[in-house]
Amino acid sequence: MTIVTGKAEARRRLQSGRSGVLWKMWEHRADYAYVLPAIAVMLIVIAYPIYYTIELSFFKTPPGLQLRDKIYVGFDNYTNILTSPVFWKVTWNTMIWTLASTFISFVLGFGSALALHRDFIGRGVLRAILIIPWVISAVAASYIWKWIYHSDFGVIGAVLVGLGLADRPPNFIDNVSTVLPSLIVVNIWREFPFAMIMMMAGLQTVPEQLLSAAKVDGASAWQRFWHVTFPHLSSVSTVTILLLAVANFNSFIIPWIMTGGGPSNASHIWITHIYELAFGRQLWGVASAYSVLLFLILMTLGYFYVRALSGNERKEGSA
Amino acid sequence: MAHVVLKDLVKTYGGFKAVNDVSLTVNDGEFVALVGPSGCGKTTTLNLVAGLIPITSGDIVIGDRVVNDLDPKDRDIAMVFQNYALYPQKSVYKNLAFPLQMRKLPRDEIDKKVKEAARVLDMTHLLERKPRELSGGQQQRVALGRALVRDPAVFLMDEPLSNLDAKLRVQMRSEIKRFHQDLKATIVYVTHDQLEAVTMADKMAVMNGGLLQQYDSPAQVFAHPVNMFVASFIGSPAMSLIPLEASTANGNTVLTGAEGWSLELSPRNAQKVAGATTRKVVLGARHSTIKLHKSAVAGSVPARAYTVEPTGDVTFVQALLSGAIVNVSVPPNIAIAPDEQIWLEFDQERMHLFDGETEMAFQAN
Repeated sequence: MTIVTGKAEARRRLQSGRSGVLWKMWEHRADYAYVLPAIAVMLIVIAYPIYYTIELSFFKTPPGLQLRDKIYVGFDNYTNILTSPVFWKVTWNTMIWTLASTFISFVLGFGSALALHRDFIGRGVLRAILIIPWVISAVAASYIWKWIYHSDFGVIGAVLVGLGLADRPPNFIDNVSTVLPSLIVVNIWREFPFAMIMMMAGLQTVPEQLLSAAKVDGASAWQRFWHVTFPHLSSVSTVTILLLAVANFNSFIIPWIMTGGGPSNASHIWITHIYELAFGRQLWGVASAYSVLLFLILMTLGYFYVRALSGNERKEGSA
Repeated sequence: MAHVVLKDLVKTYGGFKAVNDVSLTVNDGEFVALVGPSGCGKTTTLNLVAGLIPITSGDIVIGDRVVNDLDPKDRDIAMVFQNYALYPQKSVYKNLAFPLQMRKLPRDEIDKKVKEAARVLDMTHLLERKPRELSGGQQQRVALGRALVRDPAVFLMDEPLSNLDAKLRVQMRSEIKRFHQDLKATIVYVTHDQLEAVTMADKMAVMNGGLLQQYDSPAQVFAHPVNMFVASFIGSPAMSLIPLEASTANGNTVLTGAEGWSLELSPRNAQKVAGATTRKVVLGARHSTIKLHKSAVAGSVPARAYTVEPTGDVTFVQALLSGAIVNVSVPPNIAIAPDEQIWLEFDQERMHLFDGETEMAFQAN
């Protein structure tokens, strides 16, 4: 007969697969209790809406009908979206909007960070001024720019006419071909300070001795940038670009307030389009299907973001 | 290789003189250590020589050129940094090749020089690795290699061993010394560790407060410190400095301690003190030049044991004397208890006497 003591039993259970996991969880029961309230809130405000959005995306919700009388249509919403020309127009707009805003904001922000990294008189003031676009409310900024672009009373138009560069004020946002670039300019103006701040923080971590070493080794200012500063900033650059890309993909305020997506969908991007479908035209099912597609795309971006972050940790961990 | 001359070198930051009128000559092939406590201006001096910061006034000559206004890359120098400053994204090979690429050497020549440097420093097997895959000692060797491939006129080293652990530091110390002997290189080496300076350098420049205190061979600096700062900074444990009062009685010069005892100086020492303008004299003695007695003997002075530190080879006794702590070494078989009454006998031939006001050493006439 074997006598099994309590301790030995516990050890045995620890070593054997599933019951071992349960045992470990039981040992950490207090930790689970601490995060329980947060998990409960998350379930209510995030998990349930996600589930409900997915459910709605399989239903038709005619504007006159109450939501509980929705009609099941299977994948119809998805097929309708993917075959409609508006979808492709909006997707194309979103791509241009996201890529152009992200890339130009990053380049401008990096440039300003480099300029502000050197010591010169008035640096503090200039830095404060450059951060302003990022701190003021996006709604206020949108209205200001709407007036700046205004075809009758806008500053830009007046200056162009005053200088004799144009016969009459150009029409920036009521024109199908100029509206998207005009909005992108506003977006870049608003978010390049974010890239600037990120890159300024990154620049401060470039080791001084490494730059000195490069100087002694005979590297010019440009070579020092290319061989020391830029590689050192690769991880902060990746994170900045990804964060900008996600923020731009999710943009809403600037296009919605300045144009509402018009004229004729020329400045509609995904979020504004979804908002209009849902809250403008009460097409909850279609809007939900759109949202699910957007969710999938953003999750993919998020995956790369996390991978970039943990990749850096791995690199530093092995150092 | 070349010599380096600093002439009246000054560097000020605002009103603060970080380097104050430093002049010294490093001969061709000489290993000179700039040594001093933190903030003494040694690293600033090195950076001035490297051209990483502009000089305020004075002249720097490397070889036969005044290099005051030249960029670092045009000064024909190579530098080794405290944290190695290797390019983290580049392999060891590319780190070594970088200074040569910047000089636009042909590819096959770069390859030859890099492989030669790797062979000299015994790191051929490391060429494909990234710096983060190397140990601290290996990284330091790569940093040396990067300086070596350039074949510069002068090597500048800024505390290259400070980031290594104690054991590796001793090992790299002899490697760098060997490096100097083999290459007959002119080296200016900054360190806060007087032991490194003493063991490696042909000459050491002791700095404090931006001023050059003494510039001589380690043996000379050790045996004849010019002032109390140098005396207390060089040597471990530090030289004991005991503030005393000088007086003359019956034609003899006598030093009196705070406890009331007196010590008659030898004629040679008396002569040194004779010209003093102050009665305050500081007696300096290294631990090995003081004898410890358990009972009074002629020429000894009474003191009290304070702490006792056995190290195995010798036991260090810290004694209280005239308000100062005196370090004495005794053989390990002599048992001393804290607070025990002891007597100390100073070796008149090897004691140092300093002016209590100016802190300068009295010189024999």
